[in-house]
Amino acid sequence: MALRAAVLRHIRLPVQTLTAAGSRPQPQWSFLRLFSSHDDHLTKEEVIDRVLDVVKSFPKVDPSKVTADVHFQKDLGLDSLDTVEIVMALEEEFKLEIPDKEADKIDSCNLAIEYIYNHPMAG
Amino acid sequence: MSGATTAAYLARRAAQKERVRILYRRALKDTLNWAVHRHLFYQDASDLREKFEANKHVEDLDTIDKMIAAGEATYNKWRHPDPYIVPWAPGGSKFTRNPVPPSGIEIVNKGLEDP
Repeated sequence: MALRAAVLRHIRLPVQTLTAAGSRPQPQWSFLRLFSSHDDHLTKEEVIDRVLDVVKSFPKVDPSKVTADVHFQKDLGLDSLDTVEIVMALEEEFKLEIPDKEADKIDSCNLAIEYIYNHPMAG
Repeated sequence: MSGATTAAYLARRAAQKERVRILYRRALKDTLNWAVHRHLFYQDASDLREKFEANKHVEDLDTIDKMIAAGEATYNKWRHPDPYIVPWAPGGSKFTRNPVPPSGIEIVNKGLEDP
């Protein structure tokens, strides 16, 4: 009995209190599927993480320089054709179809994150 | 053309650069339509990139215009007959599949006659 109590005391998990207003467990539990069609839009953090992953995995980019407000041509030293390739990779990642004129204007991580976050069909 | 960087020259160059970017984007998507397997696509994409890079340092505006026109002709010749379009986009399979019903219509009693 005492042994049992001692073992339980060691493996007891600390109690986590949620923040007030009942925060939804969205960022940690990314495997949680939401079947409602209203709430399942991407969170800004998810968008930022995935966009940065795509940019970092581009072979001509130095991953340590990539932050969320980096400009592709000025900060990362890429070509305009490289920017086109990155925008295509982002389209594939988020299953979007960006019109040509809009895609031409996406020049930096900031703009990409804004566009994807405000797109209703970003997957 | 004029060697000096006048505003008209710069405007024309900027328009040409935009045409080149849009052409490269469409050609890359078309390459993905034809070469579905990724290792083939990477090979074809780097070949396409080589073609664009070879003409990178041309300065003469008229030559650039001719090259862009030739590139667009090649692109139109090689367009895929059944390209992959994201389903909800125009041309995709889910486009206007479930249109929003017109407003101002009220369905009374679930459409049944008897209450």
